[in-house]
Amino acid sequence: MRLDAIAKVIRSKNAGPCLLTLDVMLPDAATFAYVAARIDLLRRQVARRYGRSENEVAVLPYAPALAVKITLPRDVLAGDVGDRDVYGAQQHAPLLDIEL
Amino acid sequence: MLDDISRRRRPLRSLGASGQLGYGIPTPAFEAGLARSPDMIGVDMGSIDIGPSYLGGGKMAPTRVGAKRDLRKVLHAARRLDIPLIVGSAGSAGARPHLDQTLDIIREIAREDALAFRMAVVASDVPRVAIKRAIANGRVRPMDTMPPLTEADVDAASHIVGQLGLEAFRRALEADVDVVVLGRACDTGIFASIPALLGFPPGIAMHMAKIIECASLCCVPGGRDTILGILDDDGFELESMAPHRAATPSSVAAHSLYEQADPFEIREPSGRADLRQVAYRALDARRTRVEGATFEPAERMTLKLEGARMIGHRALLIAGAADPQFIARHAEIFAAVARVVRDLVCEDAVEDYRLLFRLFGVDGVRAWAEPPAQLPRETLVMGECIAPTPERAEEVIRTTKQYLLHHGYEGRLSTAGNLAFPFTPPEVMIGEAYRFNVLHLMDVDDMAGLFPVEVEKVD
Repeated sequence: MRLDAIAKVIRSKNAGPCLLTLDVMLPDAATFAYVAARIDLLRRQVARRYGRSENEVAVLPYAPALAVKITLPRDVLAGDVGDRDVYGAQQHAPLLDIEL
Repeated sequence: MLDDISRRRRPLRSLGASGQLGYGIPTPAFEAGLARSPDMIGVDMGSIDIGPSYLGGGKMAPTRVGAKRDLRKVLHAARRLDIPLIVGSAGSAGARPHLDQTLDIIREIAREDALAFRMAVVASDVPRVAIKRAIANGRVRPMDTMPPLTEADVDAASHIVGQLGLEAFRRALEADVDVVVLGRACDTGIFASIPALLGFPPGIAMHMAKIIECASLCCVPGGRDTILGILDDDGFELESMAPHRAATPSSVAAHSLYEQADPFEIREPSGRADLRQVAYRALDARRTRVEGATFEPAERMTLKLEGARMIGHRALLIAGAADPQFIARHAEIFAAVARVVRDLVCEDAVEDYRLLFRLFGVDGVRAWAEPPAQLPRETLVMGECIAPTPERAEEVIRTTKQYLLHHGYEGRLSTAGNLAFPFTPPEVMIGEAYRFNVLHLMDVDDMAGLFPVEVEKVD
Protein backbone atom coordinates (compact mmCIF):
# COMPACT_ATOMS: atom_id res chain seq x y z
CA MET A 1 0.00 0.00 0.00
CA ARG A 2 1.26 3.47 -0.84
CA LEU A 3 1.81 5.72 2.14
CA ASP A 4 -0.16 8.63 0.65
CA ALA A 5 -3.11 6.31 0.12
CA ILE A 6 -3.31 5.22 3.76
CA ALA A 7 -2.08 8.24 5.75
CA LYS A 8 -4.23 11.11 7.01
CA VAL A 9 -1.28 13.48 7.35
CA ILE A 10 2.24 13.30 5.90
CA ARG A 11 4.30 16.32 6.90
CA SER A 12 7.85 17.49 7.47
CA LYS A 13 9.43 20.19 9.61
CA ASN A 14 12.73 20.97 11.29
CA ALA A 15 13.36 19.60 14.74
CA GLY A 16 16.02 22.21 15.38
CA PRO A 17 18.30 23.47 12.57
CA CYS A 18 20.16 20.15 12.21
CA LEU A 19 17.30 17.66 12.01
CA LEU A 20 14.31 17.00 9.83
CA THR A 21 11.31 15.32 11.38
CA LEU A 22 8.55 13.68 9.37
CA ASP A 23 5.17 12.74 10.79
CA VAL A 24 2.94 10.13 9.22
CA MET A 25 -0.46 10.13 10.87
CA LEU A 26 -2.75 7.21 10.25
CA PRO A 27 -6.55 7.33 10.27
CA ASP A 28 -7.29 4.40 12.59
CA ALA A 29 -5.76 1.84 14.94
CA ALA A 30 -5.71 -0.92 12.32
CA THR A 31 -3.76 1.18 9.80
CA PHE A 32 -1.42 2.37 12.56
CA ALA A 33 -0.77 -1.26 13.54
CA TYR A 34 -0.14 -2.14 9.89
CA VAL A 35 2.50 0.59 9.53
CA ALA A 36 3.97 0.07 13.02
CA ALA A 37 4.54 -3.59 12.10
CA ARG A 38 6.60 -2.48 9.09
CA ILE A 39 8.95 -0.02 10.80
CA ASP A 40 12.11 -1.71 9.51
CA LEU A 41 10.89 -1.64 5.92
CA LEU A 42 9.87 1.99 6.35
CA ARG A 43 13.30 2.90 7.76
CA ARG A 44 15.03 1.21 4.81
CA GLN A 45 12.82 3.02 2.30
CA VAL A 46 13.30 6.39 3.98
CA ALA A 47 17.07 5.94 4.17
CA ARG A 48 17.23 5.12 0.46
CA ARG A 49 15.01 8.00 -0.64
CA TYR A 50 16.73 10.61 1.50
CA GLY A 51 20.22 9.35 0.71
CA ARG A 52 21.00 8.35 4.29
CA SER A 53 22.30 5.23 5.97
CA GLU A 54 19.71 3.34 7.99
CA ASN A 55 21.35 4.14 11.30
CA GLU A 56 20.87 7.86 10.62
CA VAL A 57 17.11 7.41 10.37
CA ALA A 58 15.05 7.07 13.55
CA VAL A 59 11.52 5.71 13.17
CA LEU A 60 9.29 5.84 16.20
CA PRO A 61 5.67 4.71 16.46
CA TYR A 62 3.62 7.13 18.57
CA ALA A 63 0.41 5.39 19.52
CA PRO A 64 -1.32 8.35 21.27
CA ALA A 65 -1.73 10.08 17.90
CA LEU A 66 -1.74 6.93 15.70
CA ALA A 67 1.39 8.30 14.12
CA VAL A 68 4.87 7.28 13.10
CA LYS A 69 7.66 9.80 13.54
CA ILE A 70 10.73 9.71 11.34
CA THR A 71 13.76 11.85 12.21
CA LEU A 72 16.93 12.21 10.16
CA PRO A 73 19.75 14.74 9.67
CA ARG A 74 19.10 17.63 7.30
CA ASP A 75 21.35 17.66 4.22
CA VAL A 76 22.22 21.32 4.85
CA LEU A 77 21.96 23.11 8.18
CA ALA A 78 18.80 25.23 8.14
CA GLY A 79 19.48 28.53 6.41
CA ASP A 80 23.06 27.70 5.48
CA VAL A 81 24.48 28.25 1.99
CA GLY A 82 22.69 25.98 -0.47
CA ASP A 83 19.72 25.22 1.74
CA ARG A 84 16.47 24.87 -0.17
CA ASP A 85 13.93 24.74 2.64
CA VAL A 86 14.78 26.70 5.79
CA TYR A 87 11.76 25.48 7.77
CA GLY A 88 11.93 21.98 6.29
CA ALA A 89 8.20 22.09 5.63
CA GLN A 90 8.32 20.65 2.08
CA GLN A 91 10.64 17.70 2.55
CA HIS A 92 7.87 15.11 2.86
CA ALA A 93 7.40 14.48 -0.86
CA PRO A 94 9.80 11.51 -1.11
CA LEU A 95 7.62 9.69 1.44
CA LEU A 96 4.42 9.86 -0.54
CA ASP A 97 4.86 6.88 -2.84
CA ILE A 98 6.62 4.55 -0.41
CA GLU A 99 5.06 1.09 -0.66
CA LEU A 100 4.52 -0.74 2.60
CA MET B 1 0.86 39.83 42.31
CA LEU B 2 1.65 36.14 42.85
CA ASP B 3 0.07 36.29 46.30
CA ASP B 4 -3.10 37.47 44.59
CA ILE B 5 -3.08 34.48 42.27
CA SER B 6 -2.43 31.91 44.95
CA ARG B 7 -5.14 33.39 47.15
CA ARG B 8 -7.58 33.71 44.32
CA ARG B 9 -7.86 30.26 42.94
CA ARG B 10 -6.60 26.80 42.38
CA PRO B 11 -6.89 25.52 39.62
CA LEU B 12 -4.81 28.00 37.70
CA ARG B 13 -6.11 29.49 34.46
CA SER B 14 -3.49 30.35 31.84
CA LEU B 15 -4.22 32.11 28.60
CA GLY B 16 -2.00 31.25 25.62
CA ALA B 17 -2.67 34.40 23.63
CA SER B 18 -0.39 33.84 20.68
CA GLY B 19 2.22 31.36 19.53
CA GLN B 20 4.02 33.94 17.41
CA LEU B 21 3.42 37.45 18.62
CA GLY B 22 3.48 40.06 15.90
CA TYR B 23 1.39 38.26 13.32
CA GLY B 24 -1.99 39.15 14.78
CA ILE B 25 -4.00 37.95 17.76
CA PRO B 26 -7.59 37.32 16.63
CA THR B 27 -9.68 39.57 18.87
CA PRO B 28 -12.86 37.49 19.32
CA ALA B 29 -11.04 34.47 20.77
CA PHE B 30 -8.72 36.66 22.84
CA GLU B 31 -11.64 38.58 24.34
CA ALA B 32 -13.49 35.30 24.99
CA GLY B 33 -10.41 34.15 26.90
CA LEU B 34 -10.29 37.32 28.97
CA ALA B 35 -13.94 36.78 29.90
CA ARG B 36 -12.92 33.49 31.51
CA SER B 37 -11.02 35.27 34.30
CA PRO B 38 -7.52 34.04 33.49
CA ASP B 39 -4.75 34.23 36.11
CA MET B 40 -2.05 35.09 33.58
CA ILE B 41 -1.45 35.82 29.91
CA GLY B 42 1.52 34.35 28.11
CA VAL B 43 2.94 34.98 24.65
CA ASP B 44 5.87 33.50 22.81
CA MET B 45 7.60 35.71 20.26
CA GLY B 46 10.32 33.39 19.08
CA SER B 47 11.47 30.35 17.23
CA ILE B 48 14.71 29.08 15.76
CA ASP B 49 12.84 27.81 12.69
CA ILE B 50 12.99 31.21 11.07
CA GLY B 51 16.66 30.68 10.34
CA PRO B 52 19.93 32.39 11.26
CA SER B 53 19.40 35.84 9.69
CA TYR B 54 17.23 37.27 12.47
CA LEU B 55 19.52 36.14 15.27
CA GLY B 56 22.64 37.16 13.39
CA GLY B 57 21.31 40.46 12.09
CA GLY B 58 19.50 41.55 15.25
CA LYS B 59 16.20 41.89 13.43
CA MET B 60 12.67 40.90 14.40
CA ALA B 61 10.76 38.54 12.12
CA PRO B 62 7.42 40.37 12.26
CA THR B 63 7.15 44.07 11.52
CA ARG B 64 7.44 46.58 14.34
CA VAL B 65 3.88 47.67 13.55
CA GLY B 66 2.62 44.10 13.91
CA ALA B 67 4.56 43.50 17.12
CA LYS B 68 3.33 46.78 18.59
CA ARG B 69 -0.31 46.06 17.73
CA ASP B 70 -0.15 42.64 19.40
CA LEU B 71 1.85 43.81 22.42
CA ARG B 72 -0.63 46.65 22.90
CA LYS B 73 -3.48 44.15 22.93
CA VAL B 74 -1.95 41.86 25.55
CA LEU B 75 -0.57 44.70 27.69
CA HIS B 76 -3.96 46.40 27.91
CA ALA B 77 -5.68 43.12 28.74
CA ALA B 78 -3.20 42.20 31.46
CA ARG B 79 -3.40 45.62 33.08
CA ARG B 80 -7.19 45.68 32.85
CA LEU B 81 -7.46 42.33 34.63
CA ASP B 82 -4.43 43.08 36.81
CA ILE B 83 -2.76 39.76 35.99
CA PRO B 84 0.82 39.01 34.93
CA LEU B 85 1.85 39.19 31.30
CA ILE B 86 4.76 36.93 30.41
CA VAL B 87 6.63 37.37 27.12
CA GLY B 88 9.24 34.85 26.00
CA SER B 89 11.91 35.04 23.25
CA ALA B 90 11.50 38.78 22.81
CA GLY B 91 11.76 40.07 19.27
CA SER B 92 11.93 36.62 17.60
CA ALA B 93 15.52 35.59 18.27
CA GLY B 94 15.85 36.98 21.80
CA ALA B 95 19.30 38.58 21.62
CA ARG B 96 19.98 42.05 23.04
CA PRO B 97 18.87 43.98 19.91
CA HIS B 98 15.63 41.97 19.78
CA LEU B 99 15.02 42.45 23.46
CA ASP B 100 15.74 46.19 23.20
CA GLN B 101 13.34 46.58 20.26
CA THR B 102 10.63 44.77 22.22
CA LEU B 103 11.20 46.84 25.37
CA ASP B 104 11.21 50.00 23.30
CA ILE B 105 7.77 49.08 21.90
CA ILE B 106 6.42 48.27 25.36
CA ARG B 107 7.65 51.59 26.81
CA GLU B 108 6.20 53.43 23.83
CA ILE B 109 2.78 51.81 24.34
CA ALA B 110 2.87 52.64 28.05
CA ARG B 111 3.69 56.26 27.25
CA GLU B 112 1.06 56.62 24.55
CA ASP B 113 -1.70 54.87 26.48
CA ALA B 114 -0.83 56.06 30.01
CA LEU B 115 -0.19 52.58 31.38
CA ALA B 116 1.97 52.13 34.47
CA PHE B 117 3.47 48.84 35.62
CA ARG B 118 6.52 47.10 36.98
CA MET B 119 8.47 45.08 34.46
CA ALA B 120 11.17 42.46 34.95
CA VAL B 121 13.58 41.80 32.13
CA VAL B 122 16.10 39.00 31.73
CA ALA B 123 18.55 39.21 28.84
CA SER B 124 19.72 35.89 27.44
CA ASP B 125 22.96 36.90 25.75
CA VAL B 126 25.74 34.64 26.99
CA PRO B 127 29.08 36.34 27.75
CA ARG B 128 31.71 35.04 25.32
CA VAL B 129 34.23 34.68 28.10
CA ALA B 130 31.87 32.33 29.96
CA ILE B 131 31.43 30.15 26.87
CA LYS B 132 35.18 30.02 26.24
CA ARG B 133 35.79 29.04 29.84
CA ALA B 134 33.17 26.31 29.50
CA ILE B 135 34.80 25.06 26.28
CA ALA B 136 38.16 24.90 28.06
CA ASN B 137 36.59 22.96 30.91
CA GLY B 138 34.88 20.45 28.63
CA ARG B 139 31.44 21.74 29.56
CA VAL B 140 30.15 22.41 26.05
CA ARG B 141 28.73 19.70 23.81
CA PRO B 142 27.46 19.89 20.22
CA MET B 143 23.78 19.40 19.49
CA ASP B 144 22.70 16.86 16.90
CA THR B 145 25.00 17.04 13.87
CA MET B 146 27.06 20.11 14.88
CA PRO B 147 30.85 19.90 15.22
CA PRO B 148 32.50 20.72 18.57
CA LEU B 149 32.45 24.42 19.47
CA THR B 150 35.69 26.40 19.13
CA GLU B 151 36.77 29.75 20.50
CA ALA B 152 36.87 31.01 16.90
CA ASP B 153 33.15 30.14 16.52
CA VAL B 154 32.39 32.09 19.67
CA ASP B 155 34.27 35.15 18.38
CA ALA B 156 32.74 34.90 14.92
CA ALA B 157 29.10 34.82 16.04
CA SER B 158 27.42 38.20 15.99
CA HIS B 159 25.07 37.13 18.79
CA ILE B 160 24.99 34.11 21.09
CA VAL B 161 21.95 33.52 23.25
CA GLY B 162 21.08 30.81 25.75
CA GLN B 163 17.58 29.40 25.95
CA LEU B 164 16.55 30.43 29.43
CA GLY B 165 14.30 28.08 31.34
CA LEU B 166 11.55 28.35 33.90
CA GLU B 167 14.16 29.13 36.56
CA ALA B 168 14.77 32.51 34.90
CA PHE B 169 11.04 33.24 34.53
CA ARG B 170 10.68 32.34 38.20
CA ARG B 171 13.33 34.80 39.32
CA ALA B 172 11.68 37.49 37.23
CA LEU B 173 8.25 36.79 38.74
CA GLU B 174 9.71 36.82 42.25
CA ALA B 175 10.66 40.46 41.70
CA ASP B 176 6.97 41.25 42.21
CA VAL B 177 6.25 42.61 38.76
CA ASP B 178 3.31 42.92 36.38
CA VAL B 179 5.14 42.21 33.16
CA VAL B 180 7.97 39.76 32.49
CA VAL B 181 10.02 39.93 29.30
CA LEU B 182 12.78 37.45 28.56
CA GLY B 183 15.29 37.27 25.76
CA ARG B 184 15.63 33.86 24.17
CA ALA B 185 13.74 31.41 26.35
CA CYS B 186 12.20 27.95 26.33
CA ASP B 187 8.55 28.42 25.43
CA THR B 188 7.59 26.10 28.29
CA GLY B 189 8.97 28.57 30.86
CA ILE B 190 6.33 31.14 29.92
CA PHE B 191 3.51 28.98 31.25
CA ALA B 192 5.28 26.61 33.65
CA SER B 193 6.92 29.25 35.85
CA ILE B 194 3.85 30.47 37.77
CA PRO B 195 2.77 26.84 38.39
CA ALA B 196 6.29 26.14 39.68
CA LEU B 197 6.07 29.05 42.12
CA LEU B 198 2.66 27.87 43.30
CA GLY B 199 3.78 24.29 43.78
CA PHE B 200 1.93 22.53 40.97
CA PRO B 201 3.47 19.24 39.78
CA PRO B 202 6.20 20.30 37.33
CA GLY B 203 5.72 17.53 34.73
CA ILE B 204 2.04 18.31 34.23
CA ALA B 205 2.70 22.06 34.19
CA MET B 206 5.45 21.69 31.60
CA HIS B 207 3.27 19.52 29.41
CA MET B 208 0.48 22.09 29.50
CA ALA B 209 2.97 24.88 28.84
CA LYS B 210 4.36 23.13 25.78
CA ILE B 211 0.88 22.88 24.30
CA ILE B 212 -0.63 26.28 25.06
CA GLU B 213 2.43 28.24 23.97
CA CYS B 214 1.28 27.45 20.43
CA ALA B 215 -2.21 28.87 21.14
CA SER B 216 -4.86 26.76 19.36
CA LEU B 217 -2.45 24.83 17.16
CA CYS B 218 -3.28 21.66 19.13
CA CYS B 219 -6.92 21.79 17.95
CA VAL B 220 -8.86 20.65 14.92
CA PRO B 221 -8.70 22.74 12.87
CA GLY B 222 -5.43 24.07 14.28
CA GLY B 223 -5.03 27.83 14.39
CA ARG B 224 -3.61 30.83 16.14
CA ASP B 225 -6.62 31.70 18.30
CA THR B 226 -6.15 32.09 22.03
CA ILE B 227 -6.36 28.93 24.15
CA LEU B 228 -7.22 28.46 27.82
CA GLY B 229 -5.36 25.91 29.94
CA ILE B 230 -6.78 25.08 33.36
CA LEU B 231 -4.23 23.40 35.60
CA ASP B 232 -4.88 21.47 38.82
CA ASP B 233 -2.76 19.07 40.84
CA ASP B 234 -3.63 16.03 38.72
CA GLY B 235 -3.75 17.36 35.19
CA PHE B 236 -5.00 20.12 32.94
CA GLU B 237 -7.87 20.93 30.65
CA LEU B 238 -7.57 22.59 27.26
CA GLU B 239 -10.19 24.69 25.55
CA SER B 240 -9.75 26.86 22.47
CA MET B 241 -11.34 30.27 22.83
CA ALA B 242 -12.46 30.05 19.19
CA PRO B 243 -15.76 28.11 19.08
CA HIS B 244 -14.95 26.38 15.77
CA ARG B 245 -11.70 24.88 17.09
CA ALA B 246 -11.83 21.67 19.13
CA ALA B 247 -9.11 20.31 21.41
CA THR B 248 -9.68 16.57 21.00
CA PRO B 249 -7.64 13.78 22.62
CA SER B 250 -6.07 12.87 19.29
CA SER B 251 -5.39 16.46 18.18
CA VAL B 252 -3.77 17.27 21.52
CA ALA B 253 -1.73 14.06 21.50
CA ALA B 254 -0.64 14.77 17.94
CA HIS B 255 0.67 18.19 18.97
CA SER B 256 3.52 16.47 20.83
CA LEU B 257 4.88 15.46 17.42
CA TYR B 258 5.17 19.01 16.16
CA GLU B 259 8.75 20.18 15.52
CA GLN B 260 10.04 17.63 18.06
CA ALA B 261 12.36 14.73 17.40
CA ASP B 262 10.98 12.87 20.44
CA PRO B 263 7.23 13.15 21.13
CA PHE B 264 7.61 11.52 24.55
CA GLU B 265 9.72 14.17 26.19
CA ILE B 266 10.04 17.92 26.69
CA ARG B 267 13.43 19.27 27.71
CA GLU B 268 14.38 22.46 29.43
CA PRO B 269 17.48 23.54 31.37
CA SER B 270 16.35 22.13 34.71
CA GLY B 271 15.15 18.75 33.50
CA ARG B 272 12.73 16.88 31.31
CA ALA B 273 9.05 16.07 31.30
CA ASP B 274 8.30 12.45 30.42
CA LEU B 275 5.07 11.94 28.46
CA ARG B 276 5.09 8.13 28.23
CA GLN B 277 2.27 7.68 30.73
CA VAL B 278 0.09 10.54 29.54
CA ALA B 279 -3.64 9.93 29.06
CA TYR B 280 -5.88 12.19 26.98
CA ARG B 281 -9.61 12.19 27.74
CA ALA B 282 -12.42 14.12 26.04
CA LEU B 283 -14.47 16.24 28.45
CA ASP B 284 -16.84 17.14 25.65
CA ALA B 285 -16.58 17.71 21.90
CA ARG B 286 -14.26 20.72 22.31
CA ARG B 287 -12.35 20.16 25.53
CA THR B 288 -9.72 17.60 26.49
CA ARG B 289 -8.24 16.68 29.85
CA VAL B 290 -4.62 15.57 30.03
CA GLU B 291 -2.92 13.74 32.90
CA GLY B 292 0.17 11.72 33.57
CA ALA B 293 3.30 13.68 32.63
CA THR B 294 6.15 13.30 35.10
CA PHE B 295 9.23 15.46 35.65
CA GLU B 296 12.79 14.30 35.98
CA PRO B 297 15.15 17.00 37.26
CA ALA B 298 18.50 17.22 35.49
CA GLU B 299 21.65 16.53 37.47
CA ARG B 300 22.99 19.89 36.37
CA MET B 301 21.53 22.86 34.55
CA THR B 302 22.13 22.78 30.82
CA LEU B 303 21.82 25.80 28.58
CA LYS B 304 21.06 25.48 24.88
CA LEU B 305 23.27 27.98 23.05
CA GLU B 306 22.27 29.52 19.73
CA GLY B 307 24.59 31.69 17.69
CA ALA B 308 24.80 32.96 14.14
CA ARG B 309 27.68 34.46 12.20
CA MET B 310 27.71 36.58 9.08
CA ILE B 311 28.95 34.80 5.98
CA GLY B 312 28.63 37.61 3.47
CA HIS B 313 26.08 39.53 1.44
CA ARG B 314 23.40 37.89 -0.64
CA ALA B 315 22.11 38.88 -4.08
CA LEU B 316 19.55 37.05 -6.20
CA LEU B 317 18.60 36.72 -9.83
CA ILE B 318 14.96 35.82 -10.45
CA ALA B 319 13.80 34.77 -13.91
CA GLY B 320 11.71 32.22 -15.74
CA ALA B 321 12.41 29.77 -18.54
CA ALA B 322 10.10 27.81 -20.82
CA ASP B 323 12.47 26.45 -23.44
CA PRO B 324 12.50 22.62 -23.23
CA GLN B 325 16.17 22.39 -24.22
CA PHE B 326 17.23 25.01 -21.69
CA ILE B 327 15.29 23.17 -19.00
CA ALA B 328 16.68 19.78 -19.97
CA ARG B 329 20.28 21.01 -20.15
CA HIS B 330 20.16 23.49 -17.28
CA ALA B 331 22.96 21.84 -15.30
CA GLU B 332 25.58 22.20 -18.03
CA ILE B 333 24.32 25.70 -18.93
CA PHE B 334 24.57 26.90 -15.32
CA ALA B 335 28.06 25.43 -15.02
CA ALA B 336 29.21 27.06 -18.26
CA VAL B 337 27.78 30.45 -17.28
CA ALA B 338 29.38 30.21 -13.85
CA ARG B 339 32.76 29.73 -15.57
CA VAL B 340 32.21 32.71 -17.90
CA VAL B 341 31.20 34.87 -14.94
CA ARG B 342 34.19 33.75 -12.90
CA ASP B 343 36.61 34.57 -15.72
CA LEU B 344 35.12 38.04 -15.99
CA VAL B 345 34.70 39.06 -12.37
CA CYS B 346 37.95 37.45 -11.26
CA GLU B 347 40.17 39.18 -13.81
CA ASP B 348 41.48 41.53 -11.12
CA ALA B 349 40.13 39.80 -8.03
CA VAL B 350 40.13 36.43 -6.33
CA GLU B 351 37.15 34.08 -6.49
CA ASP B 352 35.77 35.24 -3.17
CA TYR B 353 32.07 34.45 -3.68
CA ARG B 354 29.65 31.55 -4.00
CA LEU B 355 27.29 31.37 -6.98
CA LEU B 356 24.45 28.87 -6.83
CA PHE B 357 21.52 28.06 -9.09
CA ARG B 358 18.17 26.50 -8.31
CA LEU B 359 15.74 25.56 -11.05
CA PHE B 360 12.28 25.52 -9.53
CA GLY B 361 10.26 22.81 -11.19
CA VAL B 362 13.31 20.55 -11.13
CA ASP B 363 15.43 21.01 -8.00
CA GLY B 364 14.26 24.16 -6.27
CA VAL B 365 12.86 22.53 -3.14
CA ARG B 366 14.98 19.40 -2.85
CA ALA B 367 18.28 18.28 -4.29
CA TRP B 368 16.63 15.21 -5.79
CA ALA B 369 18.86 12.30 -6.68
CA GLU B 370 17.25 11.97 -10.10
CA PRO B 371 15.57 14.42 -12.48
CA PRO B 372 11.78 14.21 -12.77
CA ALA B 373 10.34 11.63 -15.18
CA GLN B 374 8.78 14.45 -17.16
CA LEU B 375 10.35 17.89 -17.29
CA PRO B 376 8.09 20.84 -16.46
CA ARG B 377 6.76 23.21 -19.12
CA GLU B 378 7.96 26.26 -17.22
CA THR B 379 10.58 26.78 -14.54
CA LEU B 380 11.78 29.49 -12.21
CA VAL B 381 15.50 30.16 -12.38
CA MET B 382 17.01 31.48 -9.19
CA GLY B 383 20.62 32.53 -9.10
CA GLU B 384 22.13 33.29 -5.71
CA CYS B 385 25.43 34.91 -4.93
CA ILE B 386 27.00 35.26 -1.50
CA ALA B 387 30.02 37.56 -1.53
CA PRO B 388 32.15 39.48 1.00
CA THR B 389 30.60 42.86 0.13
CA PRO B 390 27.20 43.97 -1.24
CA GLU B 391 28.97 45.48 -4.25
CA ARG B 392 30.72 42.23 -5.06
CA ALA B 393 27.49 40.21 -4.75
CA GLU B 394 25.72 42.66 -7.04
CA GLU B 395 28.56 42.60 -9.57
CA VAL B 396 28.50 38.80 -9.74
CA ILE B 397 24.72 38.48 -9.96
CA ARG B 398 24.32 41.21 -12.61
CA THR B 399 27.04 39.64 -14.70
CA THR B 400 25.37 36.26 -14.26
CA LYS B 401 22.06 37.69 -15.47
CA GLN B 402 23.63 39.01 -18.65
CA TYR B 403 25.51 35.85 -19.56
CA LEU B 404 22.75 33.44 -18.60
CA LEU B 405 20.34 35.46 -20.74
CA HIS B 406 22.57 35.26 -23.79
CA HIS B 407 24.43 32.00 -23.25
CA GLY B 408 24.68 30.11 -26.50
CA TYR B 409 24.55 26.36 -26.24
CA GLU B 410 24.59 23.76 -28.95
CA GLY B 411 21.26 23.28 -30.67
CA ARG B 412 19.77 26.44 -29.17
CA LEU B 413 16.59 27.64 -30.91
CA SER B 414 15.71 30.66 -28.74
CA THR B 415 18.69 32.78 -29.77
CA ALA B 416 17.21 36.10 -28.60
CA GLY B 417 17.38 35.20 -24.91
CA ASN B 418 17.16 32.28 -22.48
CA LEU B 419 15.28 34.00 -19.69
CA ALA B 420 11.89 35.62 -19.07
CA PHE B 421 12.08 38.48 -16.57
CA PRO B 422 8.74 39.13 -14.85
CA PHE B 423 10.06 42.59 -13.97
CA THR B 424 13.32 44.48 -14.16
CA PRO B 425 15.69 44.82 -12.55
CA PRO B 426 15.58 41.04 -12.04
CA GLU B 427 18.45 41.25 -9.53
CA VAL B 428 17.54 41.59 -5.87
CA MET B 429 19.89 42.61 -3.11
CA ILE B 430 18.87 40.66 -0.03
CA GLY B 431 21.40 41.98 2.46
CA GLU B 432 23.59 40.23 4.99
CA ALA B 433 23.65 36.43 4.96
CA TYR B 434 24.17 34.39 8.13
CA ARG B 435 24.65 30.84 9.24
CA PHE B 436 24.07 29.14 12.56
CA ASN B 437 27.53 28.43 13.89
CA VAL B 438 26.60 27.79 17.53
CA LEU B 439 24.02 25.14 18.41
CA HIS B 440 25.51 23.63 21.53
CA LEU B 441 24.71 22.64 25.08
CA MET B 442 26.61 24.28 27.93
CA ASP B 443 26.62 23.21 31.57
CA VAL B 444 25.86 26.13 33.86
CA ASP B 445 26.18 26.29 37.64
CA ASP B 446 25.01 29.83 38.26
CA MET B 447 22.15 30.88 35.98
CA ALA B 448 21.28 33.87 38.18
CA GLY B 449 24.84 35.14 37.95
CA LEU B 450 24.92 34.87 34.16
CA PHE B 451 21.39 36.14 33.57
CA PRO B 452 20.40 38.67 36.23
CA VAL B 453 16.89 40.12 36.50
CA GLU B 454 16.55 43.84 35.75
CA VAL B 455 13.46 45.52 37.19
CA GLU B 456 12.04 48.64 35.64
CA LYS B 457 9.14 50.88 36.54
CA VAL B 458 7.35 51.74 33.30
CA ASP B 459 5.02 54.70 33.20
